[in-house]
Amino acid sequence: MKKFLAILLSLVMVLSLAACGGGNGGETTPPADSGTSEPAGDQGGTDAPEAKTVKVGLICIGDENDQGYTYNFIRGKEAATEALAAKGINVEWVPKWNIGEDSGCEDANIELADEGCQLIINNSFGFEPFMLKVAPDYPDIEFISCTNQASWGDDLDNTHNAFANIYEGRYLAGVVAGMKLQQMIDEGTITADKAVIGYVGAFSFAEVISGFTSYFLGARSVCPSVTMKVQFVGSWSDATEEANAASALADMGCVMISQHSDNTTPATTAQSKGVFHTGYNNDMISVAPEASLIGTRIDWAPYFEYAIEAVANGESFDQDWCHGMDEGAVVMTDLNEAIAAPGTAEKLAEVEEQIRSGKLQVFDTSTFTIEGKPLESAFALDTDGDFTPDSEEAVFDGAFHESYFQSAPYFNLPIDGIERLNEAFG
Amino acid sequence: MNEKKTPLIRLAKRDGMEGWKVWCIRLGSIIVALLLGALVMGLAGANPITAYGTMVSGALGKKSAIRQTIKIAVPLLGCALAIAPCFKMRFWNIGAEGQITAGAVAASYFALFWVDRLPSPVLLIVMGLAGAVAGGLWALIPAFFKAKWNTNETLFTLMMNYIIIGVVRWLQGGPWEGRKGSQIIPQFDKAACLPRVLGVHCGWIIVLVLVVFMHIYMNHTKHGYEIAVIGDSVNTARYAGMNVGRVMMRTMFLSGAISGIVGFIVASGANNTLYDGVAGGVGFTSITVAWLSQLNAFAMVAISMLLAVLSKGAETLQTRMAVPTSISDIITGILLFCMLGCEFFINYKLIFRKNSHKEAAKS
Repeated sequence: MKKFLAILLSLVMVLSLAACGGGNGGETTPPADSGTSEPAGDQGGTDAPEAKTVKVGLICIGDENDQGYTYNFIRGKEAATEALAAKGINVEWVPKWNIGEDSGCEDANIELADEGCQLIINNSFGFEPFMLKVAPDYPDIEFISCTNQASWGDDLDNTHNAFANIYEGRYLAGVVAGMKLQQMIDEGTITADKAVIGYVGAFSFAEVISGFTSYFLGARSVCPSVTMKVQFVGSWSDATEEANAASALADMGCVMISQHSDNTTPATTAQSKGVFHTGYNNDMISVAPEASLIGTRIDWAPYFEYAIEAVANGESFDQDWCHGMDEGAVVMTDLNEAIAAPGTAEKLAEVEEQIRSGKLQVFDTSTFTIEGKPLESAFALDTDGDFTPDSEEAVFDGAFHESYFQSAPYFNLPIDGIERLNEAFG
Repeated sequence: MNEKKTPLIRLAKRDGMEGWKVWCIRLGSIIVALLLGALVMGLAGANPITAYGTMVSGALGKKSAIRQTIKIAVPLLGCALAIAPCFKMRFWNIGAEGQITAGAVAASYFALFWVDRLPSPVLLIVMGLAGAVAGGLWALIPAFFKAKWNTNETLFTLMMNYIIIGVVRWLQGGPWEGRKGSQIIPQFDKAACLPRVLGVHCGWIIVLVLVVFMHIYMNHTKHGYEIAVIGDSVNTARYAGMNVGRVMMRTMFLSGAISGIVGFIVASGANNTLYDGVAGGVGFTSITVAWLSQLNAFAMVAISMLLAVLSKGAETLQTRMAVPTSISDIITGILLFCMLGCEFFINYKLIFRKNSHKEAAKS
């Protein structure tokens, strides 16, 4: 019994300690709260131009470890923070990592809204429906869903979408690939009919189709005999499947591999198979120095800078934003000069300038056919929700106008010269 | 002599500890858990006192935060209620995860395809009933095999989880998929979503009603008595003339049905859609809730709220102090471990060798 009392006594002491701790905890919260309300106070005093602070929430499907999709957002976030600091705007980022495309995303949006974020950025396509459930309750907070498309159709003023004309970067990557193929033909390494590109795609989905079509058109602009095979893996990110698809394509005789998926395994597979590769989202030269020629990626910094600056100044900003090389939203990664065809850098600069000035249209209808016929008409938008475009004529002035009516890509036509080996809708 | 053979530490069953001592031990275990948790937080580079404060204020500091916390607690409580009768019967149903999912699938079917045919209140009732029946049937399968051929219910119910979750994945990417390639089932129409009461979907009312129901069912009905007898001794139950197999199947159906209703609540109230993570581990966490509450329906309300506060607090901790959520998960794990572990010291005592004389003398 004595021993028990001793134990009890010590427990009481520990308890009183914890009670003090609890009391302190209670006291520390108010400062934390006032800390969060500070930016709001600063925002109120917009007449003082030097001291603007914007609290921005960023909800990400992954974290920096993916070295691809989310990592690319983090780079954009850091670059935008720097650029805005130069303009006297401080950004207080509140990131949420590894959020699923489920009600956890809704909770994250509520959480960030309650923490006083003035702008909340959702980085994944599947976040949008959950963001839309939260946005009406917080009309003073701006919500952004990257790569999705509801803002032109919903009745909310505080929802936004953003995308970049990544097809411009794909076209340029295609030019680099085409020049390499043409060099191989000219040197007699392969015959003209063996210039086959293998493309590892995620899903049979407009975003992917638009990407590989522009890539193919870029390649064919410099290597007229090129053809392409597309293998869909049915996942945005599955390192093993992507490697398998790349390997199968190489075995089928593809001498150039490209991809629309998150991992670097197609690059490493291309290297081990002795074929070439162009990448996406990230510079893949470091993992496959003998295969990877170049990559292209979206640079989110210009958009973040634009949106955050607007919020800091209390101005409204575009609900549907889409730019490409004109605003620096699409950039090329370093060219692998050691293995690229001679003259590639010069050609790249020339074509980039043509795209930037609008002289060159990626989806120029004179450069491709569908079942042997030129494209004369195609709809851009789906207004009734059946996932088939039914309004807004996209073909005019001699080109299909991609990402013109909405930021998310909508080109999904099967053009001649590209063979889809399978389909994957999920 | 005899003494030499005695191991350093022995275990002995304790009988009937005084109530206040029991609660002291439980309190002590929570304190130990909080101290261990503080250590982990310290290692992660956060001030433990501020961190605990942030967790509490993040979970309960604001109206909207409390709503979120309750939203987390509702399925935990509902599911703990569901598995309580099974555990009382010593039928180890760890398939609540799958039963929730089955209920959610059935409810979603009506939400997606019957929304134009029924007025909203009728539709919601049909969804709830469909969820209950589907969850009940999903639970009945392992119960049937157990009753007939004495299969291992733990493995069986666990395996059933993976099947139904696979079915949802197929539905998500196949027949119920919204936009092609999205792998997302469209959001339900408003008519198929549970209305909100006091800012939280009204599932919280449903589970509170279930608390009362389960309390009465377990303590004041013949069914409840049968369950208790089987839990104590199957042979006694047989001797008393109870049809053990039938009681098992009946109880499992009820358990699955309540899980199915939870599935309906989660799909219709919280998510407004169906996806493979609809159960989200609730089926497993609620085992802890049920166990910590000693299968007492009213205690489950408190325990599920405690876990919800931890979970929501962990989110805020990440948001405000950039502590990785995995750290908060570790702390939750430590707390649950200590709380469950202390029951061991309530039921058993450790006897050290040098004390063996005294112990012997005492007895």
